[in-house]
Amino acid sequence: MSFWKTIEDIDRRWVYLMVGLAVIIPFIFPTEFPISITPETQMLYDAVEAVPDSSTVMVVFDYYPSTIAECQPMSVAALHHFFRKDCKVITLSNIPLGGPSMAETVTRRIAPLYDKEYGVDFVNLGYKYGYVAVLSGMGTSIESIFPTDNSGTPISKLPLMDSVRNYDQIAFIFEVADNATADYWVSIVNAQYGVPMCCGTTAVGAPKYYSFVQAGQFVGLLGGMKGAAEYEILLSKPANAVLGMGAQSLVHLLIIAMVILGNVGFFASRRNKRKVTP
Amino acid sequence: MRTTVPVAIAFLSGFLMVVSFFFREEATFIGGLSQNLLIWLTIVGGFTLLLGVVSITRVNWNAVKARKEGWIFKVFTLVSIFAMAVPAVLPSSWSPLFGRAEGSIYDWLFTYLDMPMMATMFATLAFYIASAAYRAFRARTAESTILLVTATVVMLWRVPMGEAFLNQFPGDIPTFLNTYIMNGANLAVQRGIIIGAALGAASMSLRIILGIERTYMGKG
Repeated sequence: MSFWKTIEDIDRRWVYLMVGLAVIIPFIFPTEFPISITPETQMLYDAVEAVPDSSTVMVVFDYYPSTIAECQPMSVAALHHFFRKDCKVITLSNIPLGGPSMAETVTRRIAPLYDKEYGVDFVNLGYKYGYVAVLSGMGTSIESIFPTDNSGTPISKLPLMDSVRNYDQIAFIFEVADNATADYWVSIVNAQYGVPMCCGTTAVGAPKYYSFVQAGQFVGLLGGMKGAAEYEILLSKPANAVLGMGAQSLVHLLIIAMVILGNVGFFASRRNKRKVTP
Repeated sequence: MRTTVPVAIAFLSGFLMVVSFFFREEATFIGGLSQNLLIWLTIVGGFTLLLGVVSITRVNWNAVKARKEGWIFKVFTLVSIFAMAVPAVLPSSWSPLFGRAEGSIYDWLFTYLDMPMMATMFATLAFYIASAAYRAFRARTAESTILLVTATVVMLWRVPMGEAFLNQFPGDIPTFLNTYIMNGANLAVQRGIIIGAALGAASMSLRIILGIERTYMGKG
């Protein structure tokens, strides 16, 4: 086999090994590179900053555990941001597979750092089937859709919910999603009820939402782990997303190198083939 | 009868939801009716989840009974379903292990088994993507070359090391990429797709409301 053919056909197990090393090495030898802030993240940060202190907001956990590496840092940073502003936080999820549990775990981990009490400063509504019905129904009455919170307590017994009837009392919605539920938040809640909202989503999903940002339907956007890292930097709370940037950087560079290598091998062996068979 | 009644229900429900858009106030009859319809929808949806559990149990149980190939995996499926579901639906007043609160069986299984397994499954994609990109991403045509070059620079831009590299070149490449690729070409294409999909969804909804589209009843 010629050299170029070898370059074109590296065994996939070597590729897997290199990816594995590219993920592990930055965690053992962390290297810091400056993380620049994209305009979409800056807009999101400024919009959350502009939410009046002590107002009631929603943080939506619309992501599956599979994308926790990308999405969880966003929801964690959002909770830090809102609790720092003394906002009342209502969490919910349109994802049956783990959404409410992640909301519960994350919120209960961060709330004590700001002396926040469940039922008074934050509430987890949990999950209800049928996001279109849920999002539309909450426009009239949140209690009719969520009569109880995630652990079964009637929301009439939660002091925070005394002053919240529908979207009219919600100052801002922070949607963290790894799927198309963000589209429904835009088309139902933002378009029909005018609640300002932003979105944090996976890097794969982010390109779709640039159009919503430009249209003003999302006041900002976090795209993938990089977006989460930017948000952490703006909050001066570097955490998992900033830490993950090293691994993501190396894997991206590795994939680019592999693509270039594959193409060099492809063109070189094609040229050699032409020389042999004119 | 078996066709007319579902078509009539679909028509009335769809028509009511369309009309209720113009009657948002809860005080109006239409507004109240549509709100009730939405609550019914979440309740009926809850039963469909139950139906899913019944169905998956029946299918897997039959396969285990018949000792079909891979039956042992179906045993794991059944055990997993009930190990997660049963303690979660039992009231937490009986024991702190029941329910879904922190420290419950459900919470433990979710946090230490389900979540890491799903994250691991998704993370393995990185290996396949790297391998697939190396093997399949070839600049064979002008279109694929444009795609390849664009993907490469965007990938570089989206990570700090890559951005530091791009900043070595004259001109503000990261800003150019954000302005002309993400908020330019990408945005235009995505908007076209979104509007096209929305028009498609609207026309399909209209066909269902008017009873033209009946495939949801298993009929052409």
